[in-house]
Amino acid sequence: MSEQPSTGPVLEIDDLHVYYGAIHALKGVSLKVNQGEIVTLIGANGAGKSTTLRAINGINRTRQGTIRFQGQDITGSPPHSIVKSGIAQSPEGRRLFPLMSVTENLEMGAFQRTDRENFSEDMDRVFELFPRLQERRMQKAGTLSGGEQQMCSIGRALMARPKLLLLDEPSMGLAPIFVERIFETVVEVNKQGTPVLLVEQNALMALEVAKRGYVMETGTIALEGPAGDLKTNEQVRKTYLGEG
Amino acid sequence: MATAVAALHRVRASSLIDAIGLLLLGSVLLWLVVKFFEDPTRFINVGIIGVTNGAIFGLVALGYTLVYGILQLINFAHGDVFALSGLVASTIILDVLGLGEDTSVIFVVLGLLATLAITMPLFALVNASIERIAYKPLRHAPRLAALITAVGMSFIVQNVSLALYGVDYESVPSFIPRTDAIHVGGIVIQWNKLSVFFIVIPVLLVMTWFVRSTRQGKGMRAVAQDTEASAMMGINVDRTISVTFLLAGSLAAVAGLVYLLQFEVRYDTGFELGLIAFTAAVLGGIGNLTGAVLGAMVIGCVQAFNEGLDGTPGGDWTRSIVFGILIATLVFRPEGILGERTPEGA
Repeated sequence: MSEQPSTGPVLEIDDLHVYYGAIHALKGVSLKVNQGEIVTLIGANGAGKSTTLRAINGINRTRQGTIRFQGQDITGSPPHSIVKSGIAQSPEGRRLFPLMSVTENLEMGAFQRTDRENFSEDMDRVFELFPRLQERRMQKAGTLSGGEQQMCSIGRALMARPKLLLLDEPSMGLAPIFVERIFETVVEVNKQGTPVLLVEQNALMALEVAKRGYVMETGTIALEGPAGDLKTNEQVRKTYLGEG
Repeated sequence: MATAVAALHRVRASSLIDAIGLLLLGSVLLWLVVKFFEDPTRFINVGIIGVTNGAIFGLVALGYTLVYGILQLINFAHGDVFALSGLVASTIILDVLGLGEDTSVIFVVLGLLATLAITMPLFALVNASIERIAYKPLRHAPRLAALITAVGMSFIVQNVSLALYGVDYESVPSFIPRTDAIHVGGIVIQWNKLSVFFIVIPVLLVMTWFVRSTRQGKGMRAVAQDTEASAMMGINVDRTISVTFLLAGSLAAVAGLVYLLQFEVRYDTGFELGLIAFTAAVLGGIGNLTGAVLGAMVIGCVQAFNEGLDGTPGGDWTRSIVFGILIATLVFRPEGILGERTPEGA
């Protein structure tokens, strides 16, 4: 695996097409995430944001187009080898293992790693980011509150020591205080060097923390640009920021 | 408003069903208490037979519940894999190792361990191959397709047994004496019954350790709880499913040997025993490992009490009673004794 220069693209998606049965869900999506960036993918429900993430980690089969990660073509690779190459995801709806403890859930995030001796160190790091999880570490994940589950889900993804972090709707269903906390952590994690691709319905918050953004509409990228520009874009304001 | 009324109806209906279920359960328990005081010694002796048989059923039930937990598939072929493993074990014991009643204890133990050393990996592979050939291509097909294929695989394995061994029962001489190992008052445990636990308990301990503590075992639990999230965590789902079938197959091989030592086996033994074990798995809460063993113990005792106590319908009715329990479980407590009420609670 060749090391990329610190400013080059980590992830490059080119003309991606995905079908669900006969439904053409992604109609030629292209985007990229550069080293060190937070990039956000915003858009209405059903625009194809989650489908894009699921294509990146190999859950959804792509019919056309390429996905390159750190310069390597990972299109069509099975999910477990994509995770191994360094892409971790906190999926929509958290998707914790409800009958496993918080600690076991975090361990599952590190499933592909062979350096077990570093697990406890990484777990401490997750607990440092989310002290709440440490208090609950023996508790079954299914019994956590929504905010705690989201923390656990992000923590679980971080346990993979990802070179790219995919976050799918981390603010969904959370109280404003938790949303704030989650976004602070995302910025914190990014500062420590992990590029983030953030899918959000909460477009205002997402554009606040992101460097660049893409706006999706019915399976295509409708708009793209620096987050600051998108925030002031009239169309974006009308549709996603609840103004006008 | 309409939904509130509907919810109220549901609550009322379910509490009525619960009440009937509890009434049924209560009367059975009351009957057992009466029977116990009529003749405690006999009751306990019959109970011991029930627990022993339950231990064997439990090994088979685990195979159903492991596979169901991970694929939501009832692997009907499992009982037939169990029976074939018992038949193969009889060949190894009699024709290959030549064990007989006059063989010394140490060679019997070594011989039985050697048999397991062959049949466990062999039937682990057979079971995993069944998955690979018959179920894997249907992973994304409607669930009914896989279910019908499982019924088909059951017939195929059964007919392989029939072709190889014919219609006669296979049995081995009673190496393990039916003399008393424990004798307290009138309560007797014979060596051949006790030996079942010498095999089953270590196997259950190793399996529990595997599922709870190893990386692969944790992966299995993760896939059972959320297959897609497991894939997102980097767990190789296909491999985990194969490992599950390997584990289920080796448990079936242990059950096959233990059953052969107690009873006799022929090509269709797995059909009925498989259904009993499946009932046990459902009773305990399908997908729940402890539940499978617990359910098997209950079914074993129900069978023993029905056949060994006075004033019961008797052995001819055992099947009907076991399947009556299956139906009652599905009506009164579909999630089983230890199952979770959520659909993804496996």
